[in-house]
Amino acid sequence: MSQLVLFNVFNGLIVGAFYALMALGLSLILNLSGVINFAHGGFLALGAYFAYALIPFVGFWGALVVAPVLVAVLGLGVERVLIRPLYGADPLYSLLLTFGLAYILEDMTRFVWGAQSVPFQAPAILMTPLSGDYFFLTGYRLFMIAIVAAAVGGLFAVLNYTRLGTRIRAGVRDLETVSTLGVNVRILRNLNFGFGIYLAGLAGVLAAGLLGLSPTIGANLIMPSFVAIIVGGLGSLLGTLLGGLLIGVASGLAAVYVPSASEAVIYVMMGLVLLVRPRGLLGEEGRVH
Amino acid sequence: MTLLLVDRLSKRFGSLVAIDEVSLAVEPGELRAIIGPNGAGKTTFFNLVSGLFPPSSGSVRFEGEEITNLTVEERVRRGMARTFQITEVFPELTVADNLRVAVELARGYGLSPWIGRAARRKIGTEIDELLATGDLAGKRHVLVGALSHGDQRAVEIMMALALKPRLLMLDEPTAGMGDQETYDIVRLVRRLHRRQGFTIMLIEHDMRVVFNLADKIMVLAEGRVLAEGTPKEIAANEAVQAAYLGETAR
Amino acid sequence: MSLVRARGLDVLIAAALLSMPFWMAAIGGYTELATRVLVMGLAAMSLNFLLGFTGVLSFGHAAYFGLGAYGAAMAIKYLEAGTIPAIAFGVAAATVAAAIIGALIVRRRGVYFAMVTIAFGQVFYFLAFRWNSVTGGDDGLTGWHRQPLDLGFATLDIFRNDKAFYYFVLVVFALCVAAMAQLIASPFGRTLLAIRENERRARFLGVPIENRIWLSFVISCFFVSAAGALYALLNNFTDPRALRFDLSGNLVIMAVMGGMRSFWGPLIGAGIFVALQDYVSSHTQNWMSVIGLVFVLVVRFFPRGVLGALRRGRPA
Repeated sequence: MSQLVLFNVFNGLIVGAFYALMALGLSLILNLSGVINFAHGGFLALGAYFAYALIPFVGFWGALVVAPVLVAVLGLGVERVLIRPLYGADPLYSLLLTFGLAYILEDMTRFVWGAQSVPFQAPAILMTPLSGDYFFLTGYRLFMIAIVAAAVGGLFAVLNYTRLGTRIRAGVRDLETVSTLGVNVRILRNLNFGFGIYLAGLAGVLAAGLLGLSPTIGANLIMPSFVAIIVGGLGSLLGTLLGGLLIGVASGLAAVYVPSASEAVIYVMMGLVLLVRPRGLLGEEGRVH
Repeated sequence: MTLLLVDRLSKRFGSLVAIDEVSLAVEPGELRAIIGPNGAGKTTFFNLVSGLFPPSSGSVRFEGEEITNLTVEERVRRGMARTFQITEVFPELTVADNLRVAVELARGYGLSPWIGRAARRKIGTEIDELLATGDLAGKRHVLVGALSHGDQRAVEIMMALALKPRLLMLDEPTAGMGDQETYDIVRLVRRLHRRQGFTIMLIEHDMRVVFNLADKIMVLAEGRVLAEGTPKEIAANEAVQAAYLGETAR
Repeated sequence: MSLVRARGLDVLIAAALLSMPFWMAAIGGYTELATRVLVMGLAAMSLNFLLGFTGVLSFGHAAYFGLGAYGAAMAIKYLEAGTIPAIAFGVAAATVAAAIIGALIVRRRGVYFAMVTIAFGQVFYFLAFRWNSVTGGDDGLTGWHRQPLDLGFATLDIFRNDKAFYYFVLVVFALCVAAMAQLIASPFGRTLLAIRENERRARFLGVPIENRIWLSFVISCFFVSAAGALYALLNNFTDPRALRFDLSGNLVIMAVMGGMRSFWGPLIGAGIFVALQDYVSSHTQNWMSVIGLVFVLVVRFFPRGVLGALRRGRPA
């Protein structure tokens, strides 16, 4: 029994790491710009497909490096052209815009690469189990955790130790003051958005290796990202990280005892959090409006 | 009985002490002005009294009852009404409709899915009276967002009046106004105080307005009460002069 | 009253709707399309009660639309209910859900409120998807159809006669819309407008904001679930797509496209959207991109919507 529990918790941790990676990108964008990026799943899928297209040329490792950057650049363009004009307006409009964008991204992905799943091969070296006893400790799974940890670590490092990061954090607290201090808020938002999209693209590449690649890969992951943000707390990146891991592990545990409910469990958690602590685990009071 | 009794009210934001043990007593029918240099905490004080956020310590009593922990809505229902430094009105509704909302709420129709002709007529009469008081009769069909600054302020004050408040709190009613508009507001407030007997608490920067209207003045500086007294006493108070002179000298 | 409905427009719309099955056929449509316009129009107008008139953004209304649909469908399939009781059942189920969920989320506002509405919307989608035995899962709930309506003095064959069903839907539509209009024009409706216009001022006039938003949410979901029930009846079928967040988004764009700040705007927006979707999906595989493009274009160039743009020329 305990091997089963361990397996599922480990699996849940991995899934949770995904949720967290994607949710972090969403959270970054939401906190600084107040935009719910509905197209986040679309960018995730695009990152995976770009990698798929690049693998024949630069191999898996090359694709892992390049694909997220490509998607991020696209993200920079999208922010500049489509989203920037909407900042002063009702949040309704940016939500509708990213919603429409999500439609377009999904359809275009399907148009270019087909509606069926495509084979996405992670390097064989990663697919072998590393331990006889714990068969689920495949190289790929550990590799994923390593990459996610590195990405999250990198994110927190950038936010806390670079000038850009400090400005982003300050901007989340008080964008107006940051602007009066002479920081170019437009570029700040733009880069922040790109950063968030980079994380989505990276999550896409990793997800494809684990779950397989089809046009709906993004749509399946976006809802848990929302829940991760709600559970972890609005306005807190650490909260989002914790939220993602928590719901991943929770659904992993649920899979052991009540298999059919493992997906439902994340919604149950969301309901509980909203009931008992509406601002989320690490959310800040007053970040409602 | 004392209408508003504030006892050693304090508010801390982290390590910043915005309001430090401020006490005051306002009697019915009084017009109390609160003045002080920028950043003295006057609006924060108003926010505490009106219930926008809770104090760190101290208490507020209204008509003898403890209201320190009541919500804004509950305080409004007990008879406190206020205006804001930046006018808060309903910009895409007409003047008449702005007042209509206030009057209907005051008369308890807030949840009514339907309203009878008789009631509608009575409300209409009250709206007409308010329009006359605020000198807005000719503008009843204008969208408030399109009005001049002074007229918007008048609408806001009329909405507060519609609630038939026992305490009217005005936060810098003449802020950003020219001489004529200031004169009109002063005339309005004086009428409300002298002729209609409203109890008014007023934050003001314009000394002409303060000395023209106030029965008593409270001077706040750096969150603390610097002085209290009649206009004459305050005018002669050296500490007050220093606080203001220090400010203008800056 | 600075309300945004001119009498003339009411008459025009009534005339258009009363005759729609006839002129719809003339422009290359069909009766069922007309009925779909009515149903989605009702749904969009119901959403707009919350969005345009109270100023609160919900992006999860599909959940209640779908609950209405599934409720009605299950009542007919499992309880052999008549048409009216089936609709009532769907509406009741959805309204209870809205009341409970509304209470949980009403303390949030702005984008955060929208987020939780989206998330809760997905809960029901997920339930419909997973609970195969009851809901039919991804294949949807089949094996039932709307029954002829027994009015006592006559029987209206709303099952076989498309036009009869259209006029039945029109009656329900008219009742719902009249109720909404009355609410908006009432003192209660004015407090909702006040919340939209300036929440702080409304609060300082004594309005219990969260309670009123909750009420507006529940009322809005009440009417949207009626539309959902009608939708199930229209298709003699319902599936999880009636609950998915793309329907939620579509409802919002219908309201915005037609004009959020006007009463009839969402109906116009629904008409355009339904017709567009019908036309585009029969001409190209990439209709999703076209719809997505519509979203983007409306937001960037046409945010006030049809009726909003038309009203700009009119004096206050």
